[in-house]
Order: sequence, then C-alpha cells, then structure tokens
Amino acid sequence: MTDQPDAIIHQPIRLKIMAALKALPDGEQLEFVKLKDIAGATEGNLGAHITTLESARYATVQKDFAGKRPRTRVALTREGRRAFEDYVAYLRDIIDAKA
Amino acid sequence: MSLTPNEAADALRDIESAGRRSGQAFGYRYSGRHFMLWGAVWMVGYAGNDLLPRLAGPLWLAALVAGAVGSALLSRSGPKGTRKSAWQSVGLVAIIALFITATYAVMWPVSTAQQAAFVPLLAAAAYSAVGLWTGARWIVAGVALAVLTLGGFFLIHSHYSLYMAAVGGGGLILAGLWMRSA
Repeated sequence: MTDQPDAIIHQPIRLKIMAALKALPDGEQLEFVKLKDIAGATEGNLGAHITTLESARYATVQKDFAGKRPRTRVALTREGRRAFEDYVAYLRDIIDAKA
Repeated sequence: MSLTPNEAADALRDIESAGRRSGQAFGYRYSGRHFMLWGAVWMVGYAGNDLLPRLAGPLWLAALVAGAVGSALLSRSGPKGTRKSAWQSVGLVAIIALFITATYAVMWPVSTAQQAAFVPLLAAAAYSAVGLWTGARWIVAGVALAVLTLGGFFLIHSHYSLYMAAVGGGGLILAGLWMRSA
C-alpha cells in the first residue's frame, strides 16, 4: 500500500472525471457536456482539470464536429486506467486497515 | 497528505456515483440504436398487416430477418466488452420468434388485434424489467408502450395494426432517439 494518494487523481472533480471515464468500455469516449454534468463542474473548471489529466497522460481529448456542432470527447488512457485502479485500491486499503 | 477512513469512504461513494451515471448514459446511447432499428421493423410489419394484408406474412419475415441481421451488425460494431457474436444476436431473435409462435399456437384462435398487441406488451414488460437494473428511461419506454398498446387495443376497433405501426414502431424510434440523447 502506497502512503500517499496519486496527487493528480486526488482532487474531487478529477476523481469524478476519472470514475466516469473508467466506467466505460476500454477506448470509449465521453462527451464534454455529459462529463460536465456528471462532475458537477463549470465549463472552464472542467476544461482545466481535463488538461491536467491530459498532461499526466491519464486522458486523451479529441475535438471534432458532429454535423456543424463542435464536439469534445474525452477517454481514459491505459495509464490512466491503471492509475485509477491503484487509487481505488489505496482507498480500499485505508478502509480495510480500519476494520 | 493521507486520508482518514471516512474520507476514503466518501471518495469511494463519489466514484461509485459518477461511474454509475456514466455507465448508465453509455448503456442508453448503446441501446438507443437497437430501439430505433426494431421500431423500423415494427413499423414495416404492422403497416403491412393493414395496408398489404396478403403480403403481411412475407413482409414480417423479411422485416424480422433484416432486424436480426441489423442487430448482429450493431452488436459487432459496439465497443470492446459489449460486443456479442452475430450468432448470439440471431439466436436471441430466433428464441423470441419461436416463443411467440408457440404462444400463439397454444392460445389459438387469436384475433389479428390480439396478435398485434401481444408482442408489444411482451416487449413493454421486458423493457420495464430491464429498467429496474439499468435505468428509468427503459421503464418509461416500457410503460408508455404498454399504455399505448392497451389503449389502442380497447379503444380503436379498426386499423389497429396501422395504429401499432405508428405508436409501436414510431414510439420505439422516438424512445431510441431519447435514449441516445442521454
């Protein structure tokens, strides 16, 4: 068990983003608008957190157009998936240690 | 920076909640395509009952085969982890078709209207049951389909098949669009 949580994931909004992306099948993307709703973040705030996750190579961002509408979609990388699993294991270890 | 057990439990709850909402939205989007496909199948089949009664049998057969093939293609094109083999999709359609045929045989004679109402009611029950595990939109679609089917069955005494093409087929297509918007 690591002593410190992953600082990238250990932030409430980023934690929700990672959890939402991890629930999808491997390689599946989630639209920015839906992610905003799930994470309960403002557009600017969410954008900044996604950039942090992208810089850490935990998430990838794809921008394109759906018809004439600009669309941003986010997916978890393999590295991000592994880091998130480690983070969840870290949380479970804390709870198990108490029991 | 270390966490207390309570903080860890809160974080796990947030993870569970965000994951559930995301998974549910994905499920809706994925299922929406199947709803729209089978809405089109119903629309063709039921409209055929009313408008081309002599060709209704072959038309239903062609629509069901097209639906089974379409379902197989949609399932194979889904994301990894959700893909079913073509045989699973075709097998599912075959099992349902055999069940319905066997039920009609046991219950015979049944009127055209009874036949037209039975499958949508079966689908409505299945959607509502699936919704208990996967999300309220399935339940709404199931209940709406059941109410429209029963309403038409008891209140509309002619062109019931045409009515079912509109509310059964059309309703499924609208439900699919609604699910895809989740």
